[in-house]
Amino acid sequence: MSKSSTDPDSDRTVAIDFDEILYLCGRDSVIGIVKAGAGQWFIETEDDEIVLFTEEDDLFVASGFGADERMIEGIRCMLYLVREIGSPLIVLSKNHPASGRLRMVVSAGRETTIECGITPGTHPEQDVLCGMEEFDGMRIAGVKDGVQLQNVGLSKIDMRKSRM
Amino acid sequence: MCSVGDVTNVDVSRLTPNEYECLDCNNKFKGLGRRVTCPSCKSSNVKKLN
Repeated sequence: MSKSSTDPDSDRTVAIDFDEILYLCGRDSVIGIVKAGAGQWFIETEDDEIVLFTEEDDLFVASGFGADERMIEGIRCMLYLVREIGSPLIVLSKNHPASGRLRMVVSAGRETTIECGITPGTHPEQDVLCGMEEFDGMRIAGVKDGVQLQNVGLSKIDMRKSRM
Repeated sequence: MCSVGDVTNVDVSRLTPNEYECLDCNNKFKGLGRRVTCPSCKSSNVKKLN
């Protein structure tokens, strides 16, 4: 795993290849980002199935609540399961007891904003993903050959890359 | 974009996928996104129903 330098600026574009994961490691949490590529993915709800079609520079973003090496490896495994194995994305119903047990969540699409205070009723098209406070408000967008990060204190983040 | 397995709740009922029919294999499905192809036969010969 290689480390890239950190930067006090709040906006940055980071180049990643299709077979690379970009990790943003904070004090309490880790975010992993990979290119989704053009493809189709399945979102499963209690009583329905929706096919999500992504484009070349769209992203999968996984947010893990924990910052140790096990969580980083877990993020890699999750993104591998979703993109390489094609595991369907399961959406839990409202107030499902498993919601509070999850230590990792995933989003897919062109753009994701991390929020630490998502309230019930938030819906997927708001492009939000639950994350810890240190990443609150960060916008992650897929751009050609890379990832654009905005609205985050990059100087406090350990940025790494690894192969998928 | 879709977030999945969120620690807080996601109101899936507010997802607004389009409904499609594949004109090659007649499969009907709900989809989100621009590059829509049939999940069954992979054909891009699909028609939006709504």
